[in-house]
Amino acid sequence: MAEASNSVKYSTSQEVDFVIVGSGSAGGIIAKELSTAGYSVVVLEQGPHLKAADFTHDEWGVKYNFDLEWDWRKGHPQTRRRTENEEAVVGDSSLRYAHNVGGGSVHFSGNFWRLREIDFIEASVRGPIAGTNFVDWPITYAELEPYYTKVDWEIGLSGLQGPWDPPRSRDYPCAPMPVKSSGVLLERAAKKLGYTAYPAPVAILSEPHNDRPACIHCGLCNGYGCEVNAKSSTMVTMIPLALASGNCELRTGCTVSKINIDESGRANEVVYWEQDGTESAQRCKAVVLSANGAETPRLLLLSESARHPDGLANSSGMVGKNLMFNGYSQAIGLFDEPVHAYKSIPATRVVHDFWELDESLGFYGGGGIDSRHPFGGNLISTALSGGMFGGANWGAEYKESLQHLFTHSCSFDGHTTSLPLSTNNVTLDPTVKDVWGRPAIRVTYNEHPDDLATMKFFLDRSLELMDAAGATQMEGFVDENSPWTQHLLGTCRMGNDPETSVVDRDNRSHDIPNLFMCDGSSMVSSSRGQPTITIMALAFRAADLIIQSARRGEI
Amino acid sequence: MKQQRMSRRAFLNAGGDAAKGSCIILTMPMILAACNQANEARTKNSDFQLLSEEEGLEYSAISARIIPSNDTPGATEAGVIYFIDTVVADNRDGEHQILKQGLTTLQSEGAAQFGVASFYLLNEEQQDQLLRQIESSQFFNTIRFLTVAGMFSSPEYGGNRDKVGFELLGFTDQHAWQPPFGFYDADYAEKGE
Repeated sequence: MAEASNSVKYSTSQEVDFVIVGSGSAGGIIAKELSTAGYSVVVLEQGPHLKAADFTHDEWGVKYNFDLEWDWRKGHPQTRRRTENEEAVVGDSSLRYAHNVGGGSVHFSGNFWRLREIDFIEASVRGPIAGTNFVDWPITYAELEPYYTKVDWEIGLSGLQGPWDPPRSRDYPCAPMPVKSSGVLLERAAKKLGYTAYPAPVAILSEPHNDRPACIHCGLCNGYGCEVNAKSSTMVTMIPLALASGNCELRTGCTVSKINIDESGRANEVVYWEQDGTESAQRCKAVVLSANGAETPRLLLLSESARHPDGLANSSGMVGKNLMFNGYSQAIGLFDEPVHAYKSIPATRVVHDFWELDESLGFYGGGGIDSRHPFGGNLISTALSGGMFGGANWGAEYKESLQHLFTHSCSFDGHTTSLPLSTNNVTLDPTVKDVWGRPAIRVTYNEHPDDLATMKFFLDRSLELMDAAGATQMEGFVDENSPWTQHLLGTCRMGNDPETSVVDRDNRSHDIPNLFMCDGSSMVSSSRGQPTITIMALAFRAADLIIQSARRGEI
Repeated sequence: MKQQRMSRRAFLNAGGDAAKGSCIILTMPMILAACNQANEARTKNSDFQLLSEEEGLEYSAISARIIPSNDTPGATEAGVIYFIDTVVADNRDGEHQILKQGLTTLQSEGAAQFGVASFYLLNEEQQDQLLRQIESSQFFNTIRFLTVAGMFSSPEYGGNRDKVGFELLGFTDQHAWQPPFGFYDADYAEKGE
């Protein structure tokens, strides 16, 4: 349905300038930039327009019913296998993503780590890694930096320039969030071991900014929508500006089925279903796909035709390939005094001394360690983990242990790299269909051994830190071949070489001159564990370049 | 200080393996539709929507061993059985059959080992002994999952009566906090670190 606001309404037969598929971290930004620059824009979003008043602290609904996400219970199954030699099996969604205006930015943890200069040129510096598609980015940090700064100020970040951070043209708009006990434990432990913990940069406001209020430290943050608009989603920062421009129409509950190409090889129409099943097609001069790292490649594959038998924009064969998750490890500790890490935002301190692991270790990787409540401040999740330190997981002793587990626990979480492999990919399942009758997303994923080695390294460091922090008991885990991820990366990546990439350095398809892809699929490397700020910076940059190109009459 | 390391899937926010061991799959519209009814049931102690009286007694008795009542409230006081009834009542016939089969098996074991055919009529030691025998079963994991969820979910779903579950965890449903948040950041501020 179309938004009943002061925004414009276009007819589907009217050729608008841009159709943007997806209103999330990338789509929301591009919609605002293009529409405020004067272009006519239609945004097609699968989910509803949820706002602050719609968000709750309902752990059952959010965490166990996946209310804010797409999943097989809503008619959107996915299949999963490790290699192409196995048959993919239907299960819980592997590639999890949001189902609302603003996409994942509505309920992310907000941990925003800029990439460093090395991240863009790492393949040149280190050399290739056998069995992977490890390559340089087609752009440098210097080229992306102004857009990182746009994210800081227009989206709204709180932080402090850290000792290892790359150069910045402007300070953070908001001071760091107040430190939590979990942050203090990490900071003191880090100091003891010769590392440096510093304030975790977050897309959450510590003070009023851009007419939005400061965070109220409500506690159920990661995975939940913000009830006061302090979390800097594109829903609250970008979409209102896009709608206020008078040039942008936001159509929610619309699922895109196909991009049509005209005889000259240009995209000219986006076909979609409304919730009642009515099919429509919006005519347009150009298309931007920002449907996330799972749906953007799927849409290209679904748009196959006689002329494009391998799917649209896929002369490289790379659409869907190089799927990267991020690695994860967790050290959980119990402490003598109340930590109360369930209050406030997820993480207030991070250690970035292990951003890049030394080559002498014999494997590639890197990332960061931050400190959090082990179960995201969630009560059911905490209670389900009762007994994890070796006690019973039901009964009187179990029940008595729960309060301590909820209030006196802390975790040090490792967020790490994934390598890009052709064999890790998104394809269309040959048999399983979704509620619309489309082939389901099939995930083939078996992580590179270096990814697991990196997770284990980070777990070792996290346990050492936990010990130095004074934990009385501890446990640790690595997320080997994670059953699911919300970081959907690499599947339509950027590059200068049309044979090994899907979009060029300006996020334009190598094959289709008026088709752009910009979201997590654009990522060339997996980031060091927190990709969203880079996705948003890429979106600001792509929009800027699209506008310049449009002004030169090139679209 | 005890230190253990395992290589296994991390308990991320979704409560990991415990939820996976359960056969119960839920959808939001179902829960929302049922929650008002559950609220009424909770306050009136009325009959269940779907569970038989026997099931009510039996599942309650199992829940009461999982989160017992002692010097603090347990599953019984929290009304967990009404949460379970709500969940199973809404188009969960397949799962309901699994629960009923699991219960039948449990009752046979009780009869064989103690000569008593109803779980709720056994004493606590006998009940715990039987439950320890089936700890890794899908049936037990499902009841445990539902008990824990019924204990700590928002009261609108029928359980966590009067927020006794929240209290058990030391959680105040406050919705906003200010620093200092815990002991260590208060200490940090005091020391001017």
